Amino acid sequence: MIFRIFRKELLDTLRDRRTLMTMLVIPILIFPITLNVFVEVSKSFEESASAKTVKIGVVGDDQNHFIKQLKSIPDSLGPKKVLVFSDSTKLRGAIDSKKIELGLIVPKNEASLRAKEQTVQLTWLLDAAEVGRNERAQLYGSSLQAFADAERLNKLGLRSEQIKPLQNTTINCASDKKMIGQLAGGFLPYIFIAFGFIGCMYPAIDLFTGEKERGTLETLLTVPVSRWKILVGKMLVVVSSGMLAATCALLGLFISIEFLDLAANKELLDVIHSVLTPTFIISMFALLMPLVIFFAGVMIPIAIYAKSFKEAQSIITPLNIVMVLPAMIGFFPGIELNFTTAFIPVVNVVLATKELIGGTLSLGSFLSVFGVMFLLACVAISLSLRQFGKESNILN
Amino acid sequence: MIQVSNLRKEFLLTRQQKKELNTTENKALAVSDLSLSCQAGRIFSLLGPNGAGKTTTLRMLATLIEPSSGKIQINGIDAIAHPQQARMQIGFLTGSTGLYARLTPIEVIDYYADLYGVEKSIREQRKEELFTLLHMNDFLHKRIGKLSTGMKQKVSICRTMIHDPSVVIFDEPTSGLDVITAENIIKLIRSCKDQGKTVIFSSHIMSEVDLLCDDLAIIHKGELKFSGTMQDFKSQMQTPNLTEEFIRIVQA
Repeated sequence: MIFRIFRKELLDTLRDRRTLMTMLVIPILIFPITLNVFVEVSKSFEESASAKTVKIGVVGDDQNHFIKQLKSIPDSLGPKKVLVFSDSTKLRGAIDSKKIELGLIVPKNEASLRAKEQTVQLTWLLDAAEVGRNERAQLYGSSLQAFADAERLNKLGLRSEQIKPLQNTTINCASDKKMIGQLAGGFLPYIFIAFGFIGCMYPAIDLFTGEKERGTLETLLTVPVSRWKILVGKMLVVVSSGMLAATCALLGLFISIEFLDLAANKELLDVIHSVLTPTFIISMFALLMPLVIFFAGVMIPIAIYAKSFKEAQSIITPLNIVMVLPAMIGFFPGIELNFTTAFIPVVNVVLATKELIGGTLSLGSFLSVFGVMFLLACVAISLSLRQFGKESNILN
Repeated sequence: MIQVSNLRKEFLLTRQQKKELNTTENKALAVSDLSLSCQAGRIFSLLGPNGAGKTTTLRMLATLIEPSSGKIQINGIDAIAHPQQARMQIGFLTGSTGLYARLTPIEVIDYYADLYGVEKSIREQRKEELFTLLHMNDFLHKRIGKLSTGMKQKVSICRTMIHDPSVVIFDEPTSGLDVITAENIIKLIRSCKDQGKTVIFSSHIMSEVDLLCDDLAIIHKGELKFSGTMQDFKSQMQTPNLTEEFIRIVQA
């Protein structure tokens, strides 16, 4: 009988456009679209910024030393035009009024400093809020630095190695998987927690508050089927919807990386391929399942209690923030899965997934997180059952 | 057959409800010591103004809510102790047409037939009978959300009758319907009586009550004001028509 109720509720849910949008369409399309737009927009910004001819205003270079060097930098590093200014106030004004993009202030005594083999302090003026300005200033600055270093070494008759007696090298012993787990591992659980929650939301409201509002719940409760069976049948649809939304979001992300060429880094792709093993996928779903049941179990009593769709939405929407905020814990370094964090719902799943990606999740930790979430899911179900049995909740 | 004795229902009031009702009481009495008997092969009408306790009574009979005290027997089954067994005997048509707008009539009927455990061979025959009787064949595969009020009510009635219940409870079945659809439904209620079913029927339309009912009960503020046969009611009337008599009893 539970399966019959599940089948009907699923059919009903799959015919609801709003649920279909939140369960399938948005999760699948959000990452390919947003990542594609993000990559394309930043690419076009970078391209237009690097192709743009930058006007550099120079003050104080009476001997044209730096102006010559600037002009000698090849245009392949970014086209430029050098203009001479009489004082720094005018130079600043030209930057503020966007007549020039960069300003270079050369100290008046630069020739004597160079002659005495002392340090010449060059000052760059720029509007850092504009895209690409800082990058250009650094590029030209390092080119001038390279000219000056070569000139000074030549004058002193030295090779560059002679003034570099020591060089430090760091070797990262962590595997690529672990690094990805640490750096990007917080992102994956965040996705499935957010979409798992959103996926549960509409069916939970529709199948409980919606039925109450439409008067179909009253009819349904007159059939010779136990209330717990009706509840479980409906709950299965809510959980399936949450699971499907989370899976679709992950699928959308995978499609973006694999087929839309959004992750150009070959090493990153290799790591992703090595992470996506059947064991990883099964373990991830094992963590996701009790989490989504927990979400459904939290939402259903609210949906049963609410008198209208609006009321249910107004309670569950802020709850979204309460549930999804702990998912952000995965973005913070240093917080690890331990005896305490394993007992905090949502946080434990995030940390376990992070370790799962990094390949450092032990069976004991996995089982403790699964156990905690399973227990919480059971509590949530019993809470739902209690609410579903109350006369005041089921009849408007 | 339905046997009701000393039925009582109290509802706990929320803070907001207390404010609205301007009371300090924690409970509101919806039905008070109601005793009724509805026989098989007869139509019993439950009458009362809005807020009299009709719907609460019908919901208790349909085992949707539990009484605070009292007894309900449906065909000899204790409906409070064994609600699921009692539900197999009952077909309950609620006041509002509660149907799934995204499903088709045939999907809804099949769903309820499954929930009532109606065997496939019996179900097909039953569906055919009901679809013909209620003239439903033209819209069986359309989404319910796109049907008219009359069509929806027909689907609701069909859903109520699919398991061939021996006790049928109709809560204002013709409310808001056109004359032709209402007439079809009245015919169906009559056919239920002819088949020996116990029929409870609540309505605000006194002409319908006069036309259909064998027995009637009038309740007001949860209390029984009259219970007896239609014949007894008419013989005891102190006013020229049913409506006026109903008002007189309620206001007494």
